[in-house]
Amino acid sequence: MDMTRRAALLTSAAIASNVLFPMRSFAQETPRKGGVFTVHYGAEQRQLNPSLQASTGVYIIGGKIQEQLVDLDATGQPVGVLAESWEAAPDGKTITFKLRPGVTWHDGKPFTSADVQFTAMEMWKKILNYGTTLQLFLTAVDTPDPLTAVFRYERPMPLNLLLRALPDLGYISPRHLYEGKGDIRQNPVNLAPVGTGPFKFAQYERGQHIIADRNPNYWRANAPYLDRVVWRVVTDRAAAAAQMEAGQIHYSPFSGLTISDSARLGKDPRFIVSTKGNEGNARTNTIEFNFRRKELADIRVRRAIAHALDIPFFIENFLGDFAKLGTGPVPSVSTDFYPADNGPQYPFDKALATKLLDEAGFKAGAGGTRFSVRLLPAPWGEDITLFATFIQQSLANVGIKVEIVRNDGGGYLKQVYDDHAFDLATGWHQYRNDPAVSTTVWYRSGQPKGAPWTNQWDWTDPTIDKIIDDAATEVDPAKRKALYGDFVRRANTELPIWTPIEQIFLTVINAKARNHSNTPRWGSSSWHDLWLAE
Amino acid sequence: MEFAKLYFRSPSAVIGLLLFILVLAMAATADWLYPRDPLALAGRPLIWPFSNPRFLLGTDNSGRDIAAQIFHGARISLLIGLVATFISVMIGITIGAFAGYYGSWVDTVLMRVTEAFQTLPNFLLLLVLVAVFGSTITTVTVAIGIVSWPASARLTRAEFLSLRNREFVQAGRTLGLKDIKLIFGEILPNALPPVIVYASVVMAVAILLESALAFLKLSDPNVASWGNLIGAGRDVLRVQWYVSAIPGIAILVTVLAVSLVGQGLNDALNPRLKSR
Repeated sequence: MDMTRRAALLTSAAIASNVLFPMRSFAQETPRKGGVFTVHYGAEQRQLNPSLQASTGVYIIGGKIQEQLVDLDATGQPVGVLAESWEAAPDGKTITFKLRPGVTWHDGKPFTSADVQFTAMEMWKKILNYGTTLQLFLTAVDTPDPLTAVFRYERPMPLNLLLRALPDLGYISPRHLYEGKGDIRQNPVNLAPVGTGPFKFAQYERGQHIIADRNPNYWRANAPYLDRVVWRVVTDRAAAAAQMEAGQIHYSPFSGLTISDSARLGKDPRFIVSTKGNEGNARTNTIEFNFRRKELADIRVRRAIAHALDIPFFIENFLGDFAKLGTGPVPSVSTDFYPADNGPQYPFDKALATKLLDEAGFKAGAGGTRFSVRLLPAPWGEDITLFATFIQQSLANVGIKVEIVRNDGGGYLKQVYDDHAFDLATGWHQYRNDPAVSTTVWYRSGQPKGAPWTNQWDWTDPTIDKIIDDAATEVDPAKRKALYGDFVRRANTELPIWTPIEQIFLTVINAKARNHSNTPRWGSSSWHDLWLAE
Repeated sequence: MEFAKLYFRSPSAVIGLLLFILVLAMAATADWLYPRDPLALAGRPLIWPFSNPRFLLGTDNSGRDIAAQIFHGARISLLIGLVATFISVMIGITIGAFAGYYGSWVDTVLMRVTEAFQTLPNFLLLLVLVAVFGSTITTVTVAIGIVSWPASARLTRAEFLSLRNREFVQAGRTLGLKDIKLIFGEILPNALPPVIVYASVVMAVAILLESALAFLKLSDPNVASWGNLIGAGRDVLRVQWYVSAIPGIAILVTVLAVSLVGQGLNDALNPRLKSR
């Protein structure tokens, strides 16, 4: 019993890797047909259609029912799903997809290029978060025949970028159920999605569960194996852990359990606790500075705050082996874009932090306090709450008094990204395979007020804006990578936000599951090959 | 002296008083025993109690000294208890006194308002108030006071109804005393004992309400309150249960102490129980 969290985490990591390697031998087993796979669903969303909302909370359900043009394979390379092949014109302004023949929607209608055209023009370009930025210069999707979709861009679209964005931002919706049916966002199909995927939507009881049944007409031969997938809505993390132990839930995705319970279940041979299968969902913990505060608009103060935090201590004692030191906006798991040189870093140095604050002219007043700030932590994730407390404790040591202001999810997004009623905010930045998908919007100026997870800091930098714009239309992969190196170094130099911790989501899954965690975004993927052993 | 003798006759009242003095002593010595900020990072997180002499009661999941938080938390809990009780009893007495003294339509209006508050579960109302006005220690305390006044209003009203036509009141009226003087100068002192006894119940409930709010992580995170510690401990409940259990015991002891003292006061002040 007398075991520290660190020791517990170390043990669990060791056990996770021990359990993962023997998994290879399971490949020899004959997959079993049938079974019900139960998933922990922590936070309900307003709708389930992934063509309209890019978030793990939607993919975890909608990603089994609807499919995208391409997904990522086990090695992280794009692999065709509804598209069989693709090709870009040399000028980068035309990208042609050849679609998979013989695919039908769950209601029996054939899937054609008209569906792709409608989804891209009406959903991705107009509604989908991140999609509106990605497809900003998409002018038309031509459909010369039912199995060919030609994307036409005003400015060059790097094929590499599009293929890395489409696994998240490339889900197709059935045109015949949306066209001419009024407001797409209010369409009831969004809560009872119809797709081409391995599972057919069956039932949604708000606050209780969502059920999807096996699609007998699925286009992949002999798939899926499972009869049914059930998502159970469980908001209390401790209750979800108890249900995992009772065998009532098989899988808790995206760090859904507490750090302490994950470590405990990691020691239990009935469960596998690992970061595998989440490499495509890397996240960094952020410290967002509001430049409307004169103190924080001073670069010396921002750097002082970064230097005041002993991040290795925090990781070692609070987060364990599932986190590592962050180096900038592009996390180290991004093999394609992680730069060799990340520019300035901000290691723990209390003396330097104090010196910077003194230089900036914010001398300690009565009681040793220089100034006070309000810190808004996002309410998702135990690590964010712990980190907020750690920031409060650390900044007190250099004379900055931090008041923590708690909010629910909606309140947090509104106060930070719409009302700008914060001084410091801390949450997660999610990196999705390419910096242009969901990273550069945190830095590019001119973001619409109220758009969550975008630059709302009142910070404008023409240099970084130009780098971001150039990189988004650069078709040469090597040049793009170099441009994103410039981007990272500029971001770390100016420090409008600081990303001191890099984490990968933690999966807790029942050891009876087979073929799980085998792609970089497995939790969001379609689970066509997932099966349950006896 | 008669009163003290009556009070100390009951063993449970004496135990209650001793426990209450203990909590007061913790609050009084907090700064002396634990001069550092109780919310500061003290050491490694989740050290078990009695395993490290520097942290007698261990550390919580944010690396804060639990013992320091218990001692400083005693202040917060007592402060919230006393201030919220004061607010609640003041509102209750004022409304109850006017309703009971004037009767007729004043009574009807004030009692319908009281009933409106009574029919709402007070914790739900508290959640609404905290959601609207935010969760600083001031708003939480005031909100607790606002949701817990109806019972003391009804109690005061009942006392006023029975006292308002007694001879001493009528004598006062004949002498031409103003209503305000009669209400607060003559009747209230006689109506007060049961309300004071009831205040101990309000205080116990106020401490519990704040803990319940903090358990839901809706109280002020910038103060070291016992409820906040329980709320933080929820994340590690299955293994490091002591993070929640230790402040739980502190709350239990305090609420028990306040209730026992209240019961003792009630018995001592109740003339019919004198012969027991």
